[in-house]
Amino acid sequence: MPVIKAEHLTKRFGKKVLAVDDVSFAIEPGTISGVLGPNGAGKTTTLRMILDLVRPTAGSVTILGSRYRDMRAPAARVGALLDASGFHPGRSGRNALRVIAVGAGISDARVDETLALVELEGAARRAVKGYSTGMKQRLALAAALLGDPEVLILDEPANGLDPEGMLWLRTFLRKLAREGRTVLVSSHVLAEVEQTVDDILIMSEGKLLAQGSMRELMASRQPVVRVRSPQAEMLEAALRAAGAAVNRTNDALAVRGPSAAEVGDVAHAQGIALHELLTEEPSLEELFLQIAGTRREQ
Amino acid sequence: MIALARAELLKLRSTRTALGLFLAILLVTLGPLILLLALLSRSDLAGGGLGVVAYLLVPMVLLVFGILGMTNEYRHRTITYAYLVTPRRWQVMAVKLAVYALVGIATMLFTVVLVYVVTRIGASLRGVEIDATDGATLGDYTRQIVVAGLITAFGVALGALFRAQVLTVAGTLLWALVVEILIGAFKPAVGGWLPFTVFNQVSAVSMGADPGTAGATLSRPQAFIVSLVYIAIVSVAAIFISLRRDVT
Repeated sequence: MPVIKAEHLTKRFGKKVLAVDDVSFAIEPGTISGVLGPNGAGKTTTLRMILDLVRPTAGSVTILGSRYRDMRAPAARVGALLDASGFHPGRSGRNALRVIAVGAGISDARVDETLALVELEGAARRAVKGYSTGMKQRLALAAALLGDPEVLILDEPANGLDPEGMLWLRTFLRKLAREGRTVLVSSHVLAEVEQTVDDILIMSEGKLLAQGSMRELMASRQPVVRVRSPQAEMLEAALRAAGAAVNRTNDALAVRGPSAAEVGDVAHAQGIALHELLTEEPSLEELFLQIAGTRREQ
Repeated sequence: MIALARAELLKLRSTRTALGLFLAILLVTLGPLILLLALLSRSDLAGGGLGVVAYLLVPMVLLVFGILGMTNEYRHRTITYAYLVTPRRWQVMAVKLAVYALVGIATMLFTVVLVYVVTRIGASLRGVEIDATDGATLGDYTRQIVVAGLITAFGVALGALFRAQVLTVAGTLLWALVVEILIGAFKPAVGGWLPFTVFNQVSAVSMGADPGTAGATLSRPQAFIVSLVYIAIVSVAAIFISLRRDVT
């Protein structure tokens, strides 16, 4: 049974803004799933609809078999990081967590435990207004973990983190998944989650463009042949004539369709010199652009 | 619900909000009271009425305190965590209204004792024998304390309805201190029914005397019932709107 199940989820703000458009998906237990897409894709609205903070215009979503609003003591089952700035600036980090913990019936000992987990125990008694962005992100993550939940929903958790912080986050998310928790994480920086997630949902302009396991989706991608030639313009024309899709930047070409050997044959047949020829597996970002581009053409 | 109430109290204790309220109360009560005790002639002091001046601004302080208590949740986005922990939003709102009402009641209780003690001490230092209660009965004090709770909760409800902190505080004070007074001056029959006029009538201004006998639109019991109706309407509207509002 899926941990999160969304069916025809739609959210319209006013008459003009269609933030989420008929989105359906299922998140399986014990996985790290990434909701990926550019800013304004509808990721945050989707996550907030799962948590009942935003009411869907149409469709429905359940988490652990029921609507979030119908859950008793949800903090013990679902943890969420939605907004790292969602703390009173005058309150200490520890008290910010205690306010949440007391309301959820969670002990102060657990507050201290989660602060240690995110490595913030040294700054626990400092006012949140003195925290860096990265520290606020960690505090928000600690808030999500307070109830030791089986499901975590994290909206752009890497925002504001430096490379060291991102590495820490990746390791941390992997650790959570090993513990059997289900993690749904959104990001607009695709490369950031590429090494972390098992499944991905790709969103753009409120629509869900693709969903599947990372492995399946990456297997479906088209490799790109990178070529550099002093006669790039001639080579581009020859490759286009052979039916390839080509993007040229100065003397470099990115070719989709033919293999590297076929590109080399075309160049040889035209007497064009090559300075570089290699096959490159596209990144998640390129995969996203491929999928988004295909959808737009449709 | 008990856990939620404890969380609300912790919210107050863990910022400077409670200290701010305490200092504001000291300022608006002791400030004018000490000035009057020091500057009035002994015969004027013996005439009494110091309490009326000391209590004059306390309801406004409590009203602003209530508004800040709610609008701060939106301003600092802590409302997100409140609703994540308790997705039944009506409970969050109901507990907040109740906790702030109790804090308003406790604050007014403290103020009454403070004003009584300071008046007694100040008058005796000036060598004047006065009635520090201004002739108010236990019933008068009770009404005053209850209205303090109601007006604090009223502030919370207004904060939930309008959310924007500065606009809500400024708009409410403008309404209470200017618009209602103008309406009361030009259209007394209408003004007598307006919320802050009604609150005043129940509580502070004329302790010991029923304003109904002084030509007011409503008698004190009628004003009390109308004030309860106002609180009920605004609170229900605040809860209703909180249930429907998206937290983005």
